[in-house]
Amino acid sequence: MKQTEGKIGIREFMAIIMLSVGTKLTDDTPMILFGTAKNSAWISMVLIALLTIVPIFFLFKVFSVHKGKDLHEVNIHLFGKVLGNILSFGMLLFGFAALVLDSATYVDIISTMYFTKTPNIAIYIVLLIVCGYGAKKGIEQIGSTAWLTLFYLKVTLFIALAVAFTKGNLKFLFPLLGPGSWEIVKTAGSKMSILADFYFIGIIAPMVKSVKDFKKGTLLSFIIVGCEITISLIIYVALFDFTSIEVISYPFHEVILYISFGFINNVESVFLPFWLVAAFIRFSFYMYLVLVLFGGIFKINKHQYLIPVLVTLVIFLGIAPKSATYTLPYLRELLLTTLSPFFFALPIVMWLIAKVRGDFKHEASAEKT
Amino acid sequence: MFKLLKKISGRKNKGKSIQSNNTLDKQKNKKDQSISQNIDDNIDFIKDIYQFPNNRDVKFREFKVGGSNERAAIIFISSITDVRTIEDSAISPLLENKEPDLGIKRVISTQNVNLFSNMKDVVNNINTGNAVIFIENDSNAYIFECANFQGRSVERAENEVLIKGSKEALTEKVVVNLSLIRKRIKNEALMAESVTISERSQNEVYILYVRNLADDKLVDDIKNRLKNLDVDSIQNLALLEQYIEERRMSLFPSVLYSERPDRATAFLEDGHVVLLMDNSPDALILPATFWSFFHTPEDHYLRFVFGNFARIIRMVAMFITIFISAIYVAVTSFHSEMIPADLLLAIAGSREKVPFPVFFEIILMEAAFELIREAGLRVPNPMGPTIGIVGALILGQAAVEANIISPIVIIVVALSGLTSFTISDISLQFALRIIRFLFILSAGLFGIYGMTALFVMGLFYLVSLKSFGVPYLAPMSPHFVSSGDTIFRRVITNENFRPGYLKPDDLKKKGDGATK
Repeated sequence: MKQTEGKIGIREFMAIIMLSVGTKLTDDTPMILFGTAKNSAWISMVLIALLTIVPIFFLFKVFSVHKGKDLHEVNIHLFGKVLGNILSFGMLLFGFAALVLDSATYVDIISTMYFTKTPNIAIYIVLLIVCGYGAKKGIEQIGSTAWLTLFYLKVTLFIALAVAFTKGNLKFLFPLLGPGSWEIVKTAGSKMSILADFYFIGIIAPMVKSVKDFKKGTLLSFIIVGCEITISLIIYVALFDFTSIEVISYPFHEVILYISFGFINNVESVFLPFWLVAAFIRFSFYMYLVLVLFGGIFKINKHQYLIPVLVTLVIFLGIAPKSATYTLPYLRELLLTTLSPFFFALPIVMWLIAKVRGDFKHEASAEKT
Repeated sequence: MFKLLKKISGRKNKGKSIQSNNTLDKQKNKKDQSISQNIDDNIDFIKDIYQFPNNRDVKFREFKVGGSNERAAIIFISSITDVRTIEDSAISPLLENKEPDLGIKRVISTQNVNLFSNMKDVVNNINTGNAVIFIENDSNAYIFECANFQGRSVERAENEVLIKGSKEALTEKVVVNLSLIRKRIKNEALMAESVTISERSQNEVYILYVRNLADDKLVDDIKNRLKNLDVDSIQNLALLEQYIEERRMSLFPSVLYSERPDRATAFLEDGHVVLLMDNSPDALILPATFWSFFHTPEDHYLRFVFGNFARIIRMVAMFITIFISAIYVAVTSFHSEMIPADLLLAIAGSREKVPFPVFFEIILMEAAFELIREAGLRVPNPMGPTIGIVGALILGQAAVEANIISPIVIIVVALSGLTSFTISDISLQFALRIIRFLFILSAGLFGIYGMTALFVMGLFYLVSLKSFGVPYLAPMSPHFVSSGDTIFRRVITNENFRPGYLKPDDLKKKGDGATK
């Protein structure tokens, strides 16, 4: 008696995106924006969000004619076997690099902000064992877990940000254009791959119940996440002002160190578990994406057997950089800057090829008959 | 190394294959023959099978039928039959009969008389409390129902206590249980099919479902699982549960076990399947979700606000019982900065003379609590107060005075122990008790980080569980059409749907204008 057939509903799908992209406001992503756009980082973020609409739009176009195919299969279909595989492999490398760098960043956050005495490698091992377990369970389970916890995670995030907002000073936002409009646009252009996750979710497109749900879920969560990150950037500036925000590595964690409730002065350990849950789900999802992509390229059906290898690999690569707090943001920035043009251009190229090949016409005629 | 050892031991086992004498087949073969025309042969055969007269409660009564003057014999086991019925409806009408040509069937005045021609059926019927009549020059046996097994009568529910609502509990007699359920669903669509699940003891299970509500596939699946059992004996439902569940090693139960007929009925009406059995004062309800273990029927008997208040309390209690000890360990050993300074000083002061680390202290006290609980359960009634004295005085007060345990730990452990009793389902209660230790361990290793890691892993595991194809946390995730009865319940007039995860034949419970 099969009652769920390996597909996730719109709720679970949105929850995954909102957690995996939404948690970016709690790591060092804000710092990357603050570095060049200073106190106007939030304008850059708005620009990034606006720019991201373009690739998402074209991605939707492509996926609406290739129902039931994931990103890798669409690549193969559009670019041919050789080029498609190369492209997917490139994506895999980027995805894997993001997994390593982001997880290393999170381990760095945990070890520098909360568990200063625990060795990094122990934290890393626990993180990846949990995420490997989640990835092994599959997308349904990751989705359900994300949906079950989403409400509580967002509520606590909201409380933290709301309290911080009341303590901040909105005058710090001025001058509005901070380092100048050119700097802001440049930042937006080079860091737009902050939202590149929206390209990678194409990998799980066929696992969402319907294409309509996929589009609706992506759009809704895109809007929510975009607003969330923008607002949090504003709050960070309002709370810390731009000169000090540049030297703060992990503003969210400074925020929860900063606030207090009544007789409890240090509430960061109250927020910690919620943030951790989001982090675990995020990396489970990333790991799952990497696995599915890897399995797709190399035609491995039972990709769960790759998990131990992947976990070990990520741990060793992630633990390698010395003085993580300084190296990792640099590497991440490099990754984001490299990925940005691809993220922007690839969906457009995909759409063009689909157009030239006449996929849309086939679709139209197929629908008519 | 271990593999090698296993190999060696495995080979040893193979060489020495277990010698077993299959007496069951012999027994079966012996009774598999047709009934002879000669009544003496038949009687001797039955006497031989039952080892008469060593078997004291097997009774033979030989007589001549009035009117036709044929020889007849009536055979039954007196301890499981209603002897009165046999006398009144069979023996005396047969003796007092005047008409020579009247058939046996027309003389005996019980509700039904069946004809069998095989000894196997005859023996099976005698075993189940029916009486058999052999007649001279007749190769059929006449069997009528007069079973009367002893058991207690309907009593109050003791394990699932309610203040508001019915007080009846199921008993060990399946007929009584069926009657309790039929009393609540007066509808011909309520099916009570029976399946014999064991070879030797011939245990019978009743499968109850409402024909035009329950999903046929679900019912077939359950029937198949029951029919495929190949065991000598399954005494009761608690044992059956372990045979038919999917994950036998899992911490979480996947079949709901209830002693309340009203609860079983409510589930039947939602399209679930209920199993009943003799010797089991309870019903097995399947499929079950996590929420069904968390709920009690009283949540619905109480008014909306009160019911939900009880749910909140229970949810909080569940979190306390799992987390409080672990949080204490984590906070005092990893995150002491989050405790307000005064409280921190108080804790430090109370721990000043305690020689153990917090983790060990908590484990010690939790273990003591589990010991008291287990001992309290098994202790004979007259010795009950001893447990109280030992538990409260020696393990509590004296341990504190001896500086082995700090008083705060007693509070924490008492709280976690007390709150665990708010969950009425025993399986879930056990699961929570064990999970508590896992959390304490993870808190001792990695503080809140370890606890969160375990929590997320647990969630991944929980959402991957299925009970007869139904996701464990449905309808919360994955989402299904339902009345939304999960952590909270809705106002009763808005509970319009049967749970969609069961794929019931009729999804809607109420008409649109049901309450207007």
